[in-house]
Amino acid sequence: MDRRALIKGSARAVAGLTAAAPFGLARLLAPEASAAPSTRLKPPGALADDSAFTAACIGCGLCGEVCPPRCIRFYQRDGGDAANTPYIDPRAKSCTLCGKCMEVCPCDALGVIPLTEIDMGIAQIDRNACYPWVDRGVCGACVVVCPLGERAISFEFATFYRPIVQDGCIGCGQCVEVCPEPSLPIRIVARPKGSVAPHGRVTQSAGA
Amino acid sequence: MKSATHLVDTGAVVNAAAGSRPTFLVRRHLNKLRWLCLSLVFATLVLLPMLHVYQSYVAAHAYDLLSSPERTFYDAMQWITQPFTDDPAEDLDSIKGSTWSATLFGLKLSDPLAVAGQIAATLAVYWPFVLTAAIPVAFTVILGRFFCGWICPATFLYELNTNFGLALRRLGFRLGGRRFDRRLKYLVLVVGLLLSALSGAMLMALVYPPAIIGREIYYVIAQGAFGTGMVFFVLTLLFDLLVARRGFCRYLCPGGALYSLLGRFRAVRIQRDVDQCNDCMRCNGVCEFGLDPMRDGFGQECNNCAACIAVCPTDVLRFRLRVNDQEYQGPGHFGPICRRRMRAGETAAGEQPFGENG
Repeated sequence: MDRRALIKGSARAVAGLTAAAPFGLARLLAPEASAAPSTRLKPPGALADDSAFTAACIGCGLCGEVCPPRCIRFYQRDGGDAANTPYIDPRAKSCTLCGKCMEVCPCDALGVIPLTEIDMGIAQIDRNACYPWVDRGVCGACVVVCPLGERAISFEFATFYRPIVQDGCIGCGQCVEVCPEPSLPIRIVARPKGSVAPHGRVTQSAGA
Repeated sequence: MKSATHLVDTGAVVNAAAGSRPTFLVRRHLNKLRWLCLSLVFATLVLLPMLHVYQSYVAAHAYDLLSSPERTFYDAMQWITQPFTDDPAEDLDSIKGSTWSATLFGLKLSDPLAVAGQIAATLAVYWPFVLTAAIPVAFTVILGRFFCGWICPATFLYELNTNFGLALRRLGFRLGGRRFDRRLKYLVLVVGLLLSALSGAMLMALVYPPAIIGREIYYVIAQGAFGTGMVFFVLTLLFDLLVARRGFCRYLCPGGALYSLLGRFRAVRIQRDVDQCNDCMRCNGVCEFGLDPMRDGFGQECNNCAACIAVCPTDVLRFRLRVNDQEYQGPGHFGPICRRRMRAGETAAGEQPFGENG
């Protein structure tokens, strides 16, 4: 190899590495979680860590293709490097916990896990807007629709129709879909780690 | 009588001179079979999302809630599936997915590129997923890059695009026929995997046409709109049309690169019979990948598509069980070069009339 070819080759290598640098930096400098709370949930059985999920998902769309209620949608350009990975927006259509997506996923992005170990988040109720909590009548839609029953959401003792979220909630979001209050005082937030915040308060750390 | 003497010289019409019809050769029709295969795969990819929508209607017992066009759609899907299943909401789950990753009656199959990309992105090996690519890899090792020619849903559109380009050329448009270095796609593969490892994202799924097509058909039918991948795919169509014929597959496709590497020592390959070849060069003209069948130049990038076999007027190209290509065998014995040598009387001088290897 003569000197000219060597210089040319190394110049190309440097140019290639320079072009590749932004991609690597993006991974190194990316914030842990986006600041804005998102209403989008990962499908049931998803890897807990967002970036691990993005890396593991191959974007084949099988989870969406078997989803009976068609609640699984896919990030497009808005997802950044999560493009083509699935999400569920319970405000539009919520998960029925049928588990088909977990079974069909070819890779480790969605794993088959027992119903009670699913963690899509946990419901949180804004007691300043929920109809029964502000004495604007009876409702109880969220409690009635909940597929997990009393271990996930129940009525407050002696004051009927005021819903209280329990620790058994796995965040499927059916309560969000069914909630008749336009501002959706019930929402799915990331399950708090460590000390558990009392339910019913809207905290700033909501969202993932 | 006059026509008979006129024909005798050409050699290709020996059968006609003998008074019998040309023998039926299966290999001459493999290209039609391939088109049937491509069309079936593409039609399946269109049908599956429609069946999925139908399934969701059935699961919700929603017939009475549907609008009139939706009911027509429901009835059509019911008519299609009724002979096969009584319980469409459950049974139709047995065939799902696209060529990127699919599940067929419980058997999960994935594109080897998906596996390579995921290993690069996660920097870990998840064996249950890796094994879903075992069957495609095994077939590729034996049959070479056959996926590109026989299955790939993007190939279906790219070949139609090629034909469209040829029609435009016939109308007088000047379209690009540029050639690049074929090794570029291996660079795309390596750089793509490196960038996947650096960014931790599934970059291969964004630039690999069959994955894009499978997804986008699903998006547009079941989710209501094309995704962003369609922009990329249309750009590749324009690239093929205006810059280089079938350019993306030839020079850029990372999946094609991976399949070429896997099929380097494929057992089934096309070979030329030099002693009947007449050097008409139609095989080179029809080869989508710009290879050189007439000079035995197939190489690892041949996708066994059989287009050259179908177009060969002397039937000298055929599939053989060999793990290596032949060296260049010299010009065809019925070709103009050999015939000129014959006339020049080189045989009389004791030399090989058919070239160096012939």
